[in-house]
Amino acid sequence: MAAADDKYDIRMFAPDDVYFSRGSGGVFQGVIDGTTYDELEVYRAFPFLYTTQYISVRNTKGEELGIIPDIAELYEESAKELEKELQLRYFIPRVTRVDSVKQKSGLWMWELQTHLGSTRMVMRNLHEHLQYPGGGRVILMDISGKRCEIADWQALDAHSRKQLEEVL
Amino acid sequence: MSIQDQLPEQLRKRLAEDPLFGAKADLLHDGRFGEQWLAITEHEVSVWQQDHTQLLKLKISELKDARAVGAVGGGTLLADTGKGPVVLARYTSAQSSIFGFAAKLLGAMAKKEERPVVSERDFPRYCQNCGNPLSEGTQICQICTRNGKVAARMLRYTKPYKLQLAATAVLLIATTLVELVPPYLTKVLIDDVLGPKDVGSTLMLVILGLGATMLLMSVMQTIRGLIGVWVGSKLMGDLRKDVYSSLMRLSLAFFDRRQTSQFIGRVNSDSEAMRQFMTDGVVFMSAEMLRVVAIFIIMFGLDWQLTLYAILPVPVMVAVSMTIWPKIGRRWYHQWRSIFRLNTLVGDSLQGIRVVKAFGRERDEMARYNEANVELVRRNIRMEGLWSFMFPAFAFIAGLGTLLIWYNGGNKVLSGEIQLGVLMALISYLGMLFGPLQWISQMISWASNAMAAAHRVFEIMDTPSEVPDVRNPEPIGVIKGDVAFDSVTYGYEKHHPVLKNVSLHVKAGEMVGLVGHSGAGKSTFINLICRFYDTDEGAILIDGTDLRSISQVDLRKQIGVVLQETFLFDGTIAENIAYSKPDATPLEIMRAAKIANAHDFIVRLPDGYDTRVGERGHKLSGGEKQRVAIARAIIHDPRILILDEATASVDTETERQIQEAISRLVKGRTTFAIAHRLSTLRNADRLVVLERGKIVEVGTHEQLLEKEDGVYRKLVDAQKELSKIKGVEG
Repeated sequence: MAAADDKYDIRMFAPDDVYFSRGSGGVFQGVIDGTTYDELEVYRAFPFLYTTQYISVRNTKGEELGIIPDIAELYEESAKELEKELQLRYFIPRVTRVDSVKQKSGLWMWELQTHLGSTRMVMRNLHEHLQYPGGGRVILMDISGKRCEIADWQALDAHSRKQLEEVL
Repeated sequence: MSIQDQLPEQLRKRLAEDPLFGAKADLLHDGRFGEQWLAITEHEVSVWQQDHTQLLKLKISELKDARAVGAVGGGTLLADTGKGPVVLARYTSAQSSIFGFAAKLLGAMAKKEERPVVSERDFPRYCQNCGNPLSEGTQICQICTRNGKVAARMLRYTKPYKLQLAATAVLLIATTLVELVPPYLTKVLIDDVLGPKDVGSTLMLVILGLGATMLLMSVMQTIRGLIGVWVGSKLMGDLRKDVYSSLMRLSLAFFDRRQTSQFIGRVNSDSEAMRQFMTDGVVFMSAEMLRVVAIFIIMFGLDWQLTLYAILPVPVMVAVSMTIWPKIGRRWYHQWRSIFRLNTLVGDSLQGIRVVKAFGRERDEMARYNEANVELVRRNIRMEGLWSFMFPAFAFIAGLGTLLIWYNGGNKVLSGEIQLGVLMALISYLGMLFGPLQWISQMISWASNAMAAAHRVFEIMDTPSEVPDVRNPEPIGVIKGDVAFDSVTYGYEKHHPVLKNVSLHVKAGEMVGLVGHSGAGKSTFINLICRFYDTDEGAILIDGTDLRSISQVDLRKQIGVVLQETFLFDGTIAENIAYSKPDATPLEIMRAAKIANAHDFIVRLPDGYDTRVGERGHKLSGGEKQRVAIARAIIHDPRILILDEATASVDTETERQIQEAISRLVKGRTTFAIAHRLSTLRNADRLVVLERGKIVEVGTHEQLLEKEDGVYRKLVDAQKELSKIKGVEG
């Protein structure tokens, strides 16, 4: 607990400090520095830039226990649970195919296939609902707050690219 | 809407009791898209999968609490049981509100508290026809009802100017017909005068006729132009007014989420684009159409066979226009977005010019600008390039038609089938015909530009205010000033509440100091009193009346605000003081300034109360501005007064003066004050300590100091430390 002495320093977890698992009720939990928590919350510090690095682990009160520098360094089981939890907490389906993008009476309708199933997004315009964090990445947000992500739009199939070319 | 209606019949039959609540979650437990059903009865919670197999069943008696845990893009409904938390359902953010309600209901049942009442706000609302989400505050589905009738809606703006437009139309028809006369006279000239070498008076007559038509045309064009300008400017004014008033009507939350500099461009350039379409565009289009029809009739009359040749290129031209139309629309939008980005960039960096200079980031700003600039240049070239292609292409295709007529017509003249004059007339009519056809492309550009602008403008107009006024607001008259918070929860983002379940009752005339770390929710607290935002849960009552049922005009009349960042409008000091009461007499203004300790310094200014302040006027110091703002609040004579860090940015002496002014101001009014310097709140009747959006302590200064481990005490101690350090430094 050396680093915890200075509360203005960021605590970085080593793989041995943490063990994550899932409770019988389906809730993310774990043992951190020997203490058992039956519910933990995880946050991405850089949700756009580093999706698998700098994961903030917090208790239910929202107090930070520490930061996981990189999921890849964790033991396999912990890493698997953490990844799963992140996917649940950051519900951002990855678009695998763009079926169509249509403008209908002032609203943009996107029919999408994602790695979590098919969905439809509704946007009021393009300039406020699309974000380009860099590279070929595009974050889509619809009016209800739902999000989807295109990892690299140029890597999608020809049909999807054709749909996107007109709007990006 | 009954809450169990949504549950499928089959599932309902499996329940032992009538369900209290049923809802469909749009995610599966593993986070994939799918459907799951949740039902709550008096004794049980059940969850079924899409194929109606039971996934989960919990007894209410096992529950300790239930929570809706918000995440990014979705959330989870959790039940706390004796054996740890259990996931009941996962959902996307479209359903946050309904599962938020489920959590409250379950929590209340588990803890045997009073159960929450369903309000319409708890349900995500979908259009009955198309299943798309409805925006808040409206029952009208954007997709189903607004069938792209943007153009019709735009043209409705011309309604008040029906008469003028009718006159323009009549003139238009007349000019068009008159324009057709000269080629015909030319034909007469060639065939009947020059050809037969008729040296009579016909030459003079024809020339006179030509002259008269020219004069007539000029006069009519002038009148048409004048009417056009008049109607156009009026229209433009109407549009701008509407856009601006819709902007003013929108709630603060709308502006929080957007960069405000974009709206400057929107108000002006978008309404200009729409105006151009409505006046020039529509008038021009109808004129050209009319001309085309008339020319065809005359040409057919002269020689129908040759006319057929002339028509040959027309389908080609129409086809080209049709294929290019959608392309142009998209490129316009791209170009607009680039311009928009550029404008925002300039707006942002100029607003923050101090920061830019202070950190020496001019180069980076220039680079950022340059990047956007290059992008715009590229778009411009693409757009204009399309243009430069369109015009010559159209001219060429049109030229082909002329060639056909020259060849066939020439043969006919040589063989004596038609007279030379007829050929000449046909050629000049043809020239006139292709003019309008070329204009089709210009029309396309106008129309698509205007449509895009109209979409954006109507978007602003159609955005419902997030703090709508009720239809029949309760008249409150002059209020006493009782303010009650009744378990209020609010977050700027719904899934991230800043205030959590806050309850507080403030008696009329009481002064309450709000204390807490930054981000504790103090400013949110007062924003809610002003009703800049509506509570997500719970209610705020003034004299026992819900804020939401009071009209905002009435409410704001009763509330006065002095903020940390004083904003003075462009105008004189007197105008700024009288901002909330434009009919205030000079005496009233001076009285208010006197109470605010501002009178003396104002009078000493060379221009006194007529000193121009604001962006390009006299620069007042922070403390002086603050006192003007206090005078503004005094003249408003509100029953409820809000002071948000009113003395944060001034020195001690000025603070004393402002303090003095404030103590005069708060007398007899319900006051909410925020201050970082706790000494400022000495006069408060009660202090309310907020931490992480919750009220943790309430009491007088002395009472709170007595608490050994209290939050307030810690704050006071910390400030004492700090002032000691400052004393040493000083």
